[in-house]
Amino acid sequence: MAMVRQPLMFARLPTGARRALFALVLAGACFAFAFPVLWLILTSLRPESGVYYVHRGTEFTLGNFAEVLLDDRLLQAFFNSALISTLATFFSLLVTVSSGYMLSRFRGPASSTWFGTIYVFRCVPYISWVLPLYFVAQSWGIYDTYIGLLLPHIAVHICFFSWLMKGFFDGIDPSMEHAALIDGCTRWGAFVRVALPSAIPAISALAVLCWLFTWNEFLFALILTGNRVPMITVVMAQFVTEMGMRWNLMAATAVLALVPAFLLALFGQKYVIRGLRI
Amino acid sequence: MEVGRRPLFGEQQRFMLFLIAPAALLLLLFQVLPIAIGANASFRDWALYNPKKTWVGLDHYRSVITDPAFLEVVLPNTFIFMALSVAGALVLGLALALLLNRPFRGQKIVQTVLLVPLMVAPVIAAIMMRWMFNDQFGIVNAVLEGLGLEGQPWLVERWSAFGIIVLTDIWLWTPWFTLLLLAGLQSLPKEPFEAAAIDGTSTWRVFSHLTLPMLRPVIVVCVVIRAIDAFRTFDIVWTLTGGGPGRSTELFSLYAYVLAFLSLDLGRGSAAAIIGAVIILVVGVALYRLVDRIAKA
Repeated sequence: MAMVRQPLMFARLPTGARRALFALVLAGACFAFAFPVLWLILTSLRPESGVYYVHRGTEFTLGNFAEVLLDDRLLQAFFNSALISTLATFFSLLVTVSSGYMLSRFRGPASSTWFGTIYVFRCVPYISWVLPLYFVAQSWGIYDTYIGLLLPHIAVHICFFSWLMKGFFDGIDPSMEHAALIDGCTRWGAFVRVALPSAIPAISALAVLCWLFTWNEFLFALILTGNRVPMITVVMAQFVTEMGMRWNLMAATAVLALVPAFLLALFGQKYVIRGLRI
Repeated sequence: MEVGRRPLFGEQQRFMLFLIAPAALLLLLFQVLPIAIGANASFRDWALYNPKKTWVGLDHYRSVITDPAFLEVVLPNTFIFMALSVAGALVLGLALALLLNRPFRGQKIVQTVLLVPLMVAPVIAAIMMRWMFNDQFGIVNAVLEGLGLEGQPWLVERWSAFGIIVLTDIWLWTPWFTLLLLAGLQSLPKEPFEAAAIDGTSTWRVFSHLTLPMLRPVIVVCVVIRAIDAFRTFDIVWTLTGGGPGRSTELFSLYAYVLAFLSLDLGRGSAAAIIGAVIILVVGVALYRLVDRIAKA
């Protein structure tokens, strides 16, 4: 089959010029989106004295990373963020896969009520429930603990992910499940053995997104944790005010925090692009 | 035994309940309950020095609604921010999605680079921007001075600081639009485009008469989700300006946070949080109606 080509933009220009323009625009876009990160990496490689003329210096060092990695609090924050992100991803998917399946496969008042609830709570700004959650967490004795941070992180994804999951299951033909039911499979069996395997690409996409969202989240950690459970984003935001002008250390910390997210996104990219369709 | 009457709570209902029970329970405990407790706190004098937590009725709501900082700075800031950052990210994201929607050499690399901001935490993005726009040593001022222009104290003036917040947000979210719109573009049927190509239709007409209308449902969903999320932006404002200079770049979430945790007036902070939630719910429901109408049209 011949490749269908959409009419190109600027059709009146000669092919060479059109190509050059296309390449130029793309290069410009890549530059704009990559530059801040490249600049951060460059800053993190400069010695303390070189920070004030990053664009001119020629000395490079890995000393910033070494210095930052000696900080116990930071290491602890890395560990905590990784742990909470991983657990939150696992449990979020566990509860939202089934909720999205229900939304997709059943019609009627129960389904539409649940959908309405999800939509409303999706809109509520985080601060409106995390702020009072601070009282709740304190009175339950889970303020500044793993569980006190993990549970809200699972709860926050329920609405959006149930919605996305519904979309994924909508795209999967339910006739296989009907066939399984007729063959004597239970409803539960039809869900776990038939529907779930075909939703694996979507689940992988959500897993990548969920991990990134949790790793990058700031407000929850700021309000719900104190000194016992430092999270990486909060520690960095504190650095900005505490370390003031020590931009080389700041940049090194930020680069270290980028690495896990970057690796995950690099390997997970194809799942996200394949799985993410509204 | 009565015949022909279905049990009220049949096997199917039990299954449905089973599927949503864990999610519903978590939602109840960690969103519904806190909101109820916050609503209760918003009617009381819930400050540290008052252990009795006296009932004050609507006082907190009155003081937030009549607070000039809220009315004249925070609300306009929040809505201007919402409009500018969503519009900016949509236009750029759509443009990039259209560019990427045709095979060319190096497409994989370009796509990966464009997705970089998606992995960057808003806090880190804000730190990067703060460093780039640093008035003494930032690269932006260095470039300006190299061009013979004068460096600006970017984060010290209200509107330039606000502009940088918007810019950071657009940088962060454009790839998200690109990703979703690209997925939308690739799932469009090929036939209308083939027909247009045979007829020799101009690029602009293809875009405005075919691509845009067919992509409209995806665009609208993206815009609604992003607009609602933009309303609650906190991280980048906190890290870039902390709401300053003065309180001139505060957005809604920061306003409620400052009241509750810095002024330590949890009652008034809760009232502000609830007012914000009500505002966005009204906007959210209106947007949902709009989506529904457009998707069905």
